[in-house]
This record gives sequence, C-alpha cells and structure tokens, in this order.
Amino acid sequence: MNSARRLCLALVMVLLVGCESTTTTSDGPAIPRGWDGNPDLNGIWQTLSTANWNLESHSSYGGRSEIGVLGATPPGLGVVAGGEIPYQPWARKRQQENFQNRYTHDPEAKCYLPGIPRAHYMPYPFQVLQGDRKIMMVYGYAEANRTIHMDKENPQPAPIDSWMGRSHGRWEGDTLVVEVHGFNGEAWLDRAGNFHSWALKVEERYTLVSENVLRYEVTMNDEEVYTRPWKISLLLYRHLEDDAEILEFKCVEYSEDLLYGHLRRGATTN
Amino acid sequence: MGICVEVPPRTKRASINRRKEETSVKTKLRTKILARSSLMAVGLILVASQAFAGLSVHHIELAVSQAETAKKWYAMHLPCVAVAERPGRIECGGMQIEFVSRQSIGGSQGTSVNHISFAYPDVVAKMQQLEEIGVGGAGVRLQRFEDGNLTRDEDGVGVHGFIFDPWGTRIELIEAGDGPAFHHVHLASMDTKSTAQWYVDALGATATDQGVMLGDLAFHISENAEGRPAGTLERAVDHIGLMADDLNAIATSLTNAGVDFRGPESPANARDGTERILLAGPDGVRLELVAPGWDGIEEVSDNRVQMTAVNEPFDPPRTPWGEPDLQGMWTGNSAHGIPLERPKDADAEELTSDQAAERREQGTLRSIWGYEREWRDTTLGYDRFQASRQIAMIVDPPDGRLPEVTDVGNKALADAMARRRIVAAGPEDLTTYVRCITRGLPNMMMPGVYNNGLQIQQSPGYVAVQKEMIHETRIIPTSARPKSGVKQWLGSSRGRWQGDTLIVEVTDFNGRASYRGAGEGLKLTERYRLLDADTLEYQFTVEDPDIWTSPWTGMFNFKRDEAQYELVEYACHEGNYGMTNILSAARAKDRELSEPSGE
Repeated sequence: MNSARRLCLALVMVLLVGCESTTTTSDGPAIPRGWDGNPDLNGIWQTLSTANWNLESHSSYGGRSEIGVLGATPPGLGVVAGGEIPYQPWARKRQQENFQNRYTHDPEAKCYLPGIPRAHYMPYPFQVLQGDRKIMMVYGYAEANRTIHMDKENPQPAPIDSWMGRSHGRWEGDTLVVEVHGFNGEAWLDRAGNFHSWALKVEERYTLVSENVLRYEVTMNDEEVYTRPWKISLLLYRHLEDDAEILEFKCVEYSEDLLYGHLRRGATTN
Repeated sequence: MGICVEVPPRTKRASINRRKEETSVKTKLRTKILARSSLMAVGLILVASQAFAGLSVHHIELAVSQAETAKKWYAMHLPCVAVAERPGRIECGGMQIEFVSRQSIGGSQGTSVNHISFAYPDVVAKMQQLEEIGVGGAGVRLQRFEDGNLTRDEDGVGVHGFIFDPWGTRIELIEAGDGPAFHHVHLASMDTKSTAQWYVDALGATATDQGVMLGDLAFHISENAEGRPAGTLERAVDHIGLMADDLNAIATSLTNAGVDFRGPESPANARDGTERILLAGPDGVRLELVAPGWDGIEEVSDNRVQMTAVNEPFDPPRTPWGEPDLQGMWTGNSAHGIPLERPKDADAEELTSDQAAERREQGTLRSIWGYEREWRDTTLGYDRFQASRQIAMIVDPPDGRLPEVTDVGNKALADAMARRRIVAAGPEDLTTYVRCITRGLPNMMMPGVYNNGLQIQQSPGYVAVQKEMIHETRIIPTSARPKSGVKQWLGSSRGRWQGDTLIVEVTDFNGRASYRGAGEGLKLTERYRLLDADTLEYQFTVEDPDIWTSPWTGMFNFKRDEAQYELVEYACHEGNYGMTNILSAARAKDRELSEPSGE
C-alpha cells in the first residue's frame, strides 16, 4: 500500500468514527420515526460508493477493451475498516484468481442473487418496507429480496442454505441490527472477486444519520476465509424523486449468452 | 413445470430435521434395549395393575383432510379395520385411531408426539411392499435414512423404518414379535427423565427402559435434538385419548401433582353426556382422559366452516397505521386443481369434499414430472388445508366459461402452441417460465403443485406481494401515484383501498410473457380482501379487447399458514440445469435430423 492511499484511508476512518459518535445518541439529528417510535427506514435507498466494483480502496483500472471505457472500473476510496480484507493467505490468492476470471465467474455477470451485504451497495436502488412484524427489502437487481424477521426468536436456524441467508433483526436504540447466517457460500462481495464461504455470519447495523442518509455498517465473520472479523461502513442515500420506484431488472436474459451460448444452434463448440 | 428448481426446498428442510432427530434417537437408545419385543411383553404384564384402576388407552386422534379417505389408507397399508359403529374410527392392531376431518397446522414430526409405531415381523419386506405402491391413490411417503436406505438395523432398536400418512403423521415400522400390531407412541422431549417422571407422578404410569407404560400403552421417550418440540394441539397427531373408570380420582391426583387440567366436564358438542378431562403433558402433549361410554364430539363439517366465512361480515385487523392488514404467509395450495373454466359436463354448484380432494390429487400427479421421488419420500406436498370445492375459477361470465375469443386471440394461442413444438435454437425459444424469468401476470398468482407461498408485507402506503415461485416481488403503491410508463414484464401496479378491499390495476405490460395471447394490451384488475382471519380472497378481472370480446373475472382463495410455511429462497435461474439439458438435447436432435437416415 502506498503512503497516499494510507492517508486517504486514515481520513476516511476519522470521518466514519466522527459520524458514529453523533448518530448513536438519542438526542442526535431529527430523523423520521415510525408508528412505534423506532426510526422509520421506509423508502428507496442507494449507495454512491464504488463498493460494488471493489470493497478495498483502489485506483482505476481498465476492463474489456472492446467496449472501451464502459468496461473500466472507476477509482474508489474503499469501505473496509483498516483498508484491507484480512484474508487467509490461500483466500487472497483465490480472490486474485476470481478477479482474473471476473467477467465469467462473478455471480453478478450471471444474474445470480447478490447475497448480503452486496445487495446493498450495488449500483441499483432498493426499497425498504418496514411493517409492524417484519421488514422486507426489495432490490432493483435480479428480483432479489429478503425478509428480516423482527418477530421470531433470535437466532432461528436457517431452514436451508441460501444466497441471501436468513435474517433476524432487532432495535438497539436507534440502530436496526440484523444478524444474517445460513449462506450457501456462492455469492461474491464485489466485482473484484472478494468472497466469503458458507460459514459467513453477518451483523448489519442501519443507523439514520439524518432524514435522508442511512449509515450501513457490516461486520463480516468467516473463520474459513478471514483471519479475523472485519467491517465495512458506507452511506446509503434516500431517493427523493417524486416518481422514485423500484423498476424491474429481470436480468436473466442478459446472462443467457454467457451461460448457454455454447448450446445455441450454430455455436462453434456444439 | 418448474424444471428450474434443483431441489425442492421443503425436501431439504425435512431431511435436515430428520437427520438430527434420528441421531438423537440413536444416542439415547443405543445401549439400552436388547430385545424390545420380549421387554414389551414383560412390561404389559407387570405394569397393568400399577396405573390408575381402569386407566387404559382409548384412542389416538389424527387430523386428516377426509376421514373416509384416511380410513381407506390405513386399512390398505397398515393392520387396520374399520369400526362399524363409528364413522371416523378404525382399529389398528390393538389401538383405536380416531380420524377427525379437520385442517391441521402441521405434521407430527417436530411435535412432542413425534410418531406412532407399528410392529411387523419383517420390516424390510413391508417397506419394499410400500415402496412398490407408487404415487397413485393417496400414496405412501417414505422417509429414507441418510444413506438412502428405507430401513436401518439400529443398536437397541432393531430393524425399523419410517413412513408418513398423506396428512402428516409420521409412522414407524419396527421389527418385533409376530405382528402386525400397534407397538408404541413415541414422545420427543426436552428432558426424557422428567417427562417419564411426570407420567409416573401424574397418571400412575410405570417407568420402563424406553419410557413409560400407561395402562397397556407403551410410550417411548427420546430427546428432541432441536430443543423444545412443538405441542400437539391441532397437529397431525392431535392428542392421545385414555379411558379411566373414575375421572374424579384422577382429577384429585392431578391436583395433588400440581398439573393444570380442564374437567371433568361434558363438552357442549359431546355426542352424549359423558365427561372428560383435558390436559397438556410435558412439551405440550395433549391428553384426553374420558369416562367409559365416551362417544366423542360432533365434528364441524367443512360445509359449516365455509358458510360462516361467506355469511358473516368480517372486520379485518388493521395495521398500526390504520390500513386493512393483509400481511402474512399465505399459500394457494388449497386452490390447486381448480380449473379456470367450469367443466362443460359439471352439473353441481360445487364439488363434494371427496371430489375436491381427488381433483387436487390428480392435479398434483399430472404436474409432478420428475419429482416423484421427492413427492414420495418426503413431506413435500403436505397440506394442512382441505382442497377447495370451487368448481371453476371464472365467476364472471356466470356460466364459468371464457368469453368468446377473437380471431386475433385464436391466432395468438395457435402461434404460442406452435412455438412450443419447435426444437429450440436457443433460450429465446423456450417459455419465460422455463427460463426462470417470470410466469407473467396473472399466471404468477395462480396455484401450482409446489412453492405456492405468497408473502404479503405492508408499510404505510405500500403493499408488497411476493410469490415464492421464481421469487418475484410486486411493490404496489396504494397512494395516488401516476404510472411510470415504463413497460415491464409484470406491468405497472397501482393500488387503492376501497373499504377493506385492496384494488390493484395493472397495465403497461411489455407483452413478452403474454397471458392466453393477451400481451401489451392486457389490463388486469385485482381485488384482495380477507374473508376471515385465515382466508384471503383473490379476484382478477382480465381485459384485452383484442383477445376477448368482453372482460372476465376469476377468483380463488389463499389460506393463511403462518405456523408451518415460510418462503424458501427459490433460486430458480441459479440452478437452472433444465436449460442446459433442454438445449443440449435440442442440439442432439439437430444432429439427428441433419444426418442421413441409416439404410
């Protein structure tokens, strides 16, 4: 890591810590509250970060040259506390292989379900439907969705391993805390090949910084892949357009050439 | 349909539960019993006099969709014969089983009465015989062990295997004695010792190596690996009935033992004035102690349930922010099998319960395809709800038939049929359902053979309708919002509350998942309303003047199933091996057609 990047990260961390201290107190900024007095997270949210390209801080890099700059990755400050994901040595190697094969191996390229936390920092909006018993999140990618059980014993075992895991939530003061487990280990964390295993346990913390800004912090715990638990922190912004809505992005058909192209009539390989 | 599912989720869940439960049985009993059958015989002689004077097993009550069908099933597959004087009663190798036609909230596995057990002289042969029965008729569900075998020779248990009846009661077949005969009731418990002690203290049972003897009924007790088991109330095995000469003496004993109970009393709907005591044993085992002469209670027929639903106005619950509360876990399972159009030869206004059960079963058998193994070997397809007796979905026109189809409509249907017959050149030639894109509207709401879950979530001003199959979520705003104008597979939904009914208007379809030929011109109007706490009526009005000469309306009900159902992630596209298989088969077909035929 070069010194300029280290400085950037240090600044980011200072900002993050600064924000945390002002938002977790109950006499903080005015935030919308629901019928039960808890913060009201209903709305359509989206990140402005480059986390989905690469969670770790990165300079820009090119991609498939045949589509020019459309294939390039913009630079980003990274959202990982401490700067780097604490991979076990084999796992860093595997991440680098994933990166080399990203155009064919990234589940996003295949329109596969994004998993948690990736669903929250993809470059698409998602809607929170906060009811009185459960919270549903519906993502503007691949018809992905999840239900956060606020009304079940915590933690209830996942009935089956899945892409999106099983989520149990609770309020800690003004922070929505969600424990997620029961992953199938297939999902990636970003387009740079960062990954986890089935053993991943996620703790998400959602805290309204102000009316229209939501801090999203995640602790990632996966002893199969990392040397210690690690955290990401980023901001989600509310869509304020009058007509904001989650439109369909049924991306299956855009993945079919990648997945089944070799089985088309006339394809050279069949 | 649904070749996109790799493993039906319920199958997987069942196998996880099974594994844990069986491990615990094994650990518990491994070193205890050498020759179960001989111990049983000794137990019978020794303990009979130690229980309360005259306390004997009376019946086991099972909830089933149709008592008549259940009697036939038990008589066909187990050592059971009908009891002439009682319509819902059958005698099974020394045990009376009472069938009650009632919706249950789930199978027996996972409850404190995990299973009931029958002795057979040759369990391997019996299981082979059951395996050969196939899925015809009500079928026999087999529960395989982890190694795929139907039976296992286990230390301390002997050779045994498990099946399910079609209504969710888990049944063990165990090699013992001359059989076939009823063998024991198997309790699952948090704490086997204290459970056994409870039966000894409260009911005068005698402790045995496997559990307790109560009168002449053996209870085996094993630890429930998953913590506290569910109670039996309203599950497939609802309760165990015991008969006692002197209910008052038992009441005194129960009081002394500090047990809560109800009675002795004669319930209002009892067939005669005989009294009973109701109580819950450890972990919610429901016990009914009846006096001699007990003749059961009158059943509530499903007819009466339906009449109540239709005739009495229902005041739906409200969300904390004041909208009618439709939230929860619903399934379309009971509506599976209702045809869209009224059959031309139908003369009744609705089916009988037996006809409805048979229709749904036929629907299941027609659509299970390669899922026979999953359907047979697991709890997949279990349903707590009786099949709907509705004769057809279409309620308008009143004759239950689609209005006249236009020439354009007929051509669209013919084109769609023709497309299905071609050898697919690529994914585009297959249906959007096979491709895991969408079933379209209103098709995505229609009940199918599995994954019929419908989860409704509300937040102020929004209703989200999420269908398990393919996993599609429609977010429906209920405030006045103009449509975006963006064409979508599922169109654009806009809702409003009219009284307690949610009315949703859907237009702006992209036309690529057309419904019976109706594409971009389709207008769908849906009405959702609660008929009672557990019944959500769904009406859909379909309009497309290019396809039909007039609008038409269909209707069916979703039933609430919070207790047993949860949406399981239907990762359809992610496991769509069907696509690879269909396309590689199509390429093989291409090669076959292009090669000169062998002469």
